[in-house]
Amino acid sequence: MNYDSSISVDAGDLSAADRLLILVTRALDKVKAGDTLEILSDNASTQHDLPAWSRLNAHRCLGTVAHNGRWCHRIVKGSVLRMLTDKELDWGNHAPIKDGRFDTRHWLLGRAGEIQRTAQPSDGFAPRGASVEEGSPEFEFDVLERNRAWSHGAAEFYEQATAGHWDASRDIPWRELHALDEDLERAICQLMTFLAENEFSALYVPAKWIARIHPHFAETVLFLATQVRDEARHIEVFIKRALANGGGLQFSSASTQASLKTLMDQQDFVQASFMLSVLGEGTFLDLLRYIETHAPDQVTREIARRTRIDETRHVHFALDHIRSVLQTDTGLKESLYRAIANRASILSGMKGLNPLVEESLVILAAGGLSPDRLSSATKARIQLYETMHENRVRRLTAIGFSDREAEDVSQLHTPNFM
Amino acid sequence: MSDVIKVGVVAYDPKVVTIWEGIKEYFTARSIAMDFILFSNYDAQCDALLDGWIDIAWNTNLAYVKIHRRTGGKCGVLAMRDVDVGFTTKVIAGAKTGIQSLLDLKGKRVAFGSRDSGHAAILPLYFLKQNGINPSQDITAIRFDLDVGKHGDTGTSEVEVLNAVIKGEADAGAVGDQYWARALTENLVDNSKVRAVWTSPEYCHCNFTVREKADERRFADWTNALLAMDYNKPAERKILEMEGLKRWVRPQLDGYRALFEAVDELRFFN
Repeated sequence: MNYDSSISVDAGDLSAADRLLILVTRALDKVKAGDTLEILSDNASTQHDLPAWSRLNAHRCLGTVAHNGRWCHRIVKGSVLRMLTDKELDWGNHAPIKDGRFDTRHWLLGRAGEIQRTAQPSDGFAPRGASVEEGSPEFEFDVLERNRAWSHGAAEFYEQATAGHWDASRDIPWRELHALDEDLERAICQLMTFLAENEFSALYVPAKWIARIHPHFAETVLFLATQVRDEARHIEVFIKRALANGGGLQFSSASTQASLKTLMDQQDFVQASFMLSVLGEGTFLDLLRYIETHAPDQVTREIARRTRIDETRHVHFALDHIRSVLQTDTGLKESLYRAIANRASILSGMKGLNPLVEESLVILAAGGLSPDRLSSATKARIQLYETMHENRVRRLTAIGFSDREAEDVSQLHTPNFM
Repeated sequence: MSDVIKVGVVAYDPKVVTIWEGIKEYFTARSIAMDFILFSNYDAQCDALLDGWIDIAWNTNLAYVKIHRRTGGKCGVLAMRDVDVGFTTKVIAGAKTGIQSLLDLKGKRVAFGSRDSGHAAILPLYFLKQNGINPSQDITAIRFDLDVGKHGDTGTSEVEVLNAVIKGEADAGAVGDQYWARALTENLVDNSKVRAVWTSPEYCHCNFTVREKADERRFADWTNALLAMDYNKPAERKILEMEGLKRWVRPQLDGYRALFEAVDELRFFN
């Protein structure tokens, strides 16, 4: 801040009731304690108002002199700080705006771009780079470490997410729906029920972590907020498809619920992100592609296509996040493995995928219950499981797991897919 | 006799408890045992000080003058707020009344705060007299006697004075500059309807009163700890902000002369 020991403001006819006090306050902000501010005014009531205001704000009013029909007030700035902070503010940085676009990746300017190793609980909801007043309350965020909460890719994925939002009411060709064979419609409705319940967990899990990650790691929080928004749209669109064509919501199995509950119960952000997004949503990419390939109607195909694009973003964000944590945390792989093994042991009594879902996958690929197509459809379903496993292994090795480790982790993944 | 210093405080607002719990905590952290005793009015607190139930009374200027009279001037004073020094009363007037000075008040309706408020009733009436206006003959006084017993601490009567002037129910009115500055800051004042036209001479307001001068030395540690409270420290700032000051200061007893004269002139205690 630039200080000037003798500063003068001309307030014209402005009264203290009409923002004169803002003018005076801002002028005093520019001088040091003990310096004098001179205020020239044409307003008679200022001779009564400014001394009262000065006294209450611990400034010293030296008096008022009438001169050529005007009033000249002199105020000595007091020593109390308006804001209890000695941190300097940034000023003078300019964002690189290209083609009229300010990309979130380019907002790491000055102090806003300083990512602390450990976030301060008392920085609370202040945006990174703001000067936080002493005495602010300590917030109970518990993801405070940079190497747990921040990743370089988050801003880019956030940009992709905000550009990619769509409207489940408008952007799905609902008018193209037509009556389907009842067994086929029932299978689609069962799959939509299953997808919706899984997506509820994919909404609640990041939502839970948003509330626990320190706002200092804004890019991660903002991205997770888009993930929550995506999942809300997915829940909406899957439920709508189940209800739209004369069918309705089908069964939700205890085994599916048990699997999803273990995701909510995770007590570590990185482990939860790994299970939900790398393994769960990763597996869902293949499931959605399968549905898109075999769906008999344009509406279901478009739903699977659009949701898969969103889910791909979630998977890539998580891969980027876990990869960067793995680079600094040598014990992480072991703890992830233990967490996966622990989840598998909790779910060991589970029979596997809800059989109604499994059958629905076959019926979908067969286009109904026609005996001549069921055999090849079963092969498609078996192929799906193999593809899911292969892609899980591929993703795991891409972020630093050995082939053997990746194989083990993938095998331990829940039969519920998510 | 207990070592705990007992400070009397009038509970003019629920926040008084929060403020004084904070102050008590501040003293406890400095190994000075103190407690606060709440009163619903200043008369009861004055009696309690004189009867020895409490050691220190957090008094308004009027309560201090009363103690001073009842002790024959033997009471002492420990400290006051920075805002208790240089206090003034403002005469505010409706913008269209043509009132620009005290003499313009003659023949007008003038609103005052609670009859036991030093700054919004007793002193303004006294200052009017000093300036050649007889309140009982030259003006029509409108009284807002609210929260009597609390010496204008609640500020409710000043709110009524300002509203009466804004609505044109009074041509002018008297308020303390503390309330006036707050009204200006909180955008309660429309300059096209009401403005300040006169500022009284400066006087002093509240102080920590003790029964006798010797108590000033007896409670010196307490006073020094109080004076050390720092607005630039977060925990202490909270307390000071709620109590409406930036720092505690040593007493300036010259600032009570006008009120002594006023209570005599107006025969307030008679």
